Amino acid sequence: MKMEDMPLSGPDNTKLEALVNDIYSELVEDACLGLCFEVHRAVKQGYFFLDETDQESMKEFEIVDQPGVDIFGQVYNQWKNKECECPNCKRLIAASRFAPHLEKCLGMGRNSSRIANRRLASNNNMSKSESDQEDNDDLNDNDWSYGAEKRAKKRKSDKSQTSPRRSKTLKHKNGELGSGISADPYKYNYNAGINYEMLGPDEVQSFLTTQCGVISEHTKKMCTRSQRCPQHTDEQRMAVRVFLLGPSAPVLPEADSVAVPESFDIPDGQALMSRLQWEDSPEISPSDSASSKASTNHSDSRRPKKKKPRPSLGLNSGGGIGSLSGGGGGGSSQSNISLSTKKKKPKLTAPSISSIYDDLN
Amino acid sequence: MSKDYQMKAAINQKLIEMGERERLKELLRAKLVESGWKDQLKAHCKDVIREKGLEHVTVEDLVTEVTPKGRALVPDSVKKELLQRIRAFLAQHAAL
Repeated sequence: MKMEDMPLSGPDNTKLEALVNDIYSELVEDACLGLCFEVHRAVKQGYFFLDETDQESMKEFEIVDQPGVDIFGQVYNQWKNKECECPNCKRLIAASRFAPHLEKCLGMGRNSSRIANRRLASNNNMSKSESDQEDNDDLNDNDWSYGAEKRAKKRKSDKSQTSPRRSKTLKHKNGELGSGISADPYKYNYNAGINYEMLGPDEVQSFLTTQCGVISEHTKKMCTRSQRCPQHTDEQRMAVRVFLLGPSAPVLPEADSVAVPESFDIPDGQALMSRLQWEDSPEISPSDSASSKASTNHSDSRRPKKKKPRPSLGLNSGGGIGSLSGGGGGGSSQSNISLSTKKKKPKLTAPSISSIYDDLN
Repeated sequence: MSKDYQMKAAINQKLIEMGERERLKELLRAKLVESGWKDQLKAHCKDVIREKGLEHVTVEDLVTEVTPKGRALVPDSVKKELLQRIRAFLAQHAAL
């Protein structure tokens, strides 16, 4: 009984095949027998014909195989076109939109409060900006109609952001909208950011004294973080202030290291400092003295440029220069002190500074 | 030939011992149910029972009526796969 004696090749192949077939048929017969036992038992136990009750109900629940209809014969979106009356606002709403509408209408649900808050914030911004724009003609005359564009764009994006259908429009635009929606949780705070077009000059100034204010490239809004926000550099902050408040009028309330004067974008800022300092020493000594002729000459030559005496301006300018020099660092603190003790103020030889104070006053 | 018979018996024994026969059986059953063979045959059974009368049906009746039809109704793909598996088993374990 050695199987090794049976070489499986040539004529024995048929034997092998016959063997395989035999095994196969045995298996199939086993399966059939199993089924027969199962059926026979069902018959004898009486549950074989249970699923066939009567012809009528069999016809009723017959499987339907028509297009446009499921196997029960029901139409798929039958209830889509029905309209329901909202108990709150008494409007007729489409059935598929009914649930989200109720959520917003009744003011319950996660999204509705968020949208309401956002709307309130933007309304406040709008009403505030409208009242202030009459104050300053300069802002109104701004030829660069970016603000109008921005406002229209913002409204459109607002509308598209709150609707749950927004994902459909995203399929076409890969760029901004996609990134905008993906950053939506962050953008919610971002939307509360300020657009400089909407603020009057006073507000801009006050805003810039407390906040970073750097205008973002993407949204054209001012950064609402603190003066030390890590996203923007001091240079950017100075540039924004120059842009918004006119040149050489930065009001940076920071008293930093000596490195800061370099960040001033005022072209003649440092020259101004040096000029003031240079002027100080000859002025501390009484200008009547003939010893410093050159300086008096110099000061004389400079005086006629500024003929209008501005005593009231003196304090302002002192304060202004003080703040300037305060930003300028400790080096010019001497000039600060010496200037403030001075009584003759119209020594402001830099015409640019006078123009600033014109604007401020 | 008795050699064949012996060989057959030996192979059968090996099949059972290694559990391969059970596996093959389960595989066949699953495939038959999946292909709808079982439902077809059940319907045929119903006809036979109605013919013979509910009370008087015996197992033998069913077997004689159903088995040949069952054998014929097995789908080709199922048959081929099973033959393939048996052949593979033999090749592996029949000590060529």
